[in-house]
Amino acid sequence: MKTTLALVAATLILGATAGAGDLPTDPQIVAIVVTANQVDIDAGKLAESKAAAKEVKDFAKLMVTDHTGVNNTAKDLAAKLKVAPESNATSKSLQQGGDKNLASLKALSGAEFDRAYVDHEVAYHQAVLDAVDQALIPGAKNAELKALLVKVRPAFVAHLAHAKQLQASLVKGGG
Amino acid sequence: MTSQVVEAAEPAADGVHVVIIENMRFSPAELTVKRGEHVVWINKDLFPHTATANSRAFDSGSISPNASWSYVANTVGNYSYVCTLHPTMSARLTIR
Repeated sequence: MKTTLALVAATLILGATAGAGDLPTDPQIVAIVVTANQVDIDAGKLAESKAAAKEVKDFAKLMVTDHTGVNNTAKDLAAKLKVAPESNATSKSLQQGGDKNLASLKALSGAEFDRAYVDHEVAYHQAVLDAVDQALIPGAKNAELKALLVKVRPAFVAHLAHAKQLQASLVKGGG
Repeated sequence: MTSQVVEAAEPAADGVHVVIIENMRFSPAELTVKRGEHVVWINKDLFPHTATANSRAFDSGSISPNASWSYVANTVGNYSYVCTLHPTMSARLTIR
């Protein structure tokens, strides 16, 4: 199940960029970054209200706070650089994946919700990290945009480790 | 709990030690100070962090981006501390 989720998420994010070796342009990267953060904020907001376990609620709140911080900075930088986000296959896939995740999470409750949310967070952060390394950082032309991507990368690494810890504790606790 | 914005280039005064919080790390990760000196944590990440001793001997509470928290190192000891928000972040403060 987890592997399937990870594969689906990775395919969603990398699908449009990993193909022909074409790297996204700066306006496309901005759209991908903003969408990637926004879908995790939306999932986090749902989990803040629906999660059963306190540590899952706390994680969800953290995701909303951290990804909002990253997104505000990305939007400010895009405005400063006069780069208008350009919707593209990757950002659209991310949005669709996010919408699908929300729809399936809304149908769940209790421990089942917690596991599904956390499983998706693990897959999502791994997939975004892969995209950051393989497409976004290599693709970024503007130095400040590239620097922002490099700066936020450790947050994705830490969130992934945090989500994996939670995933293990949920399995261990049988919750 | 008071946070204040600190200029990034502000030099540390005598008896003041600075720990930069950036890229999900405390830097330096190990710091030794003398009793009575000040330690200032400056958050250069894009979201809040805390500097919280595992023993709760000190706890910054939430430090906003571009804000700082100052602590007077009054009690001798060896303190492991973490960011309570991000469990992957840990460091150590020694007061002697």
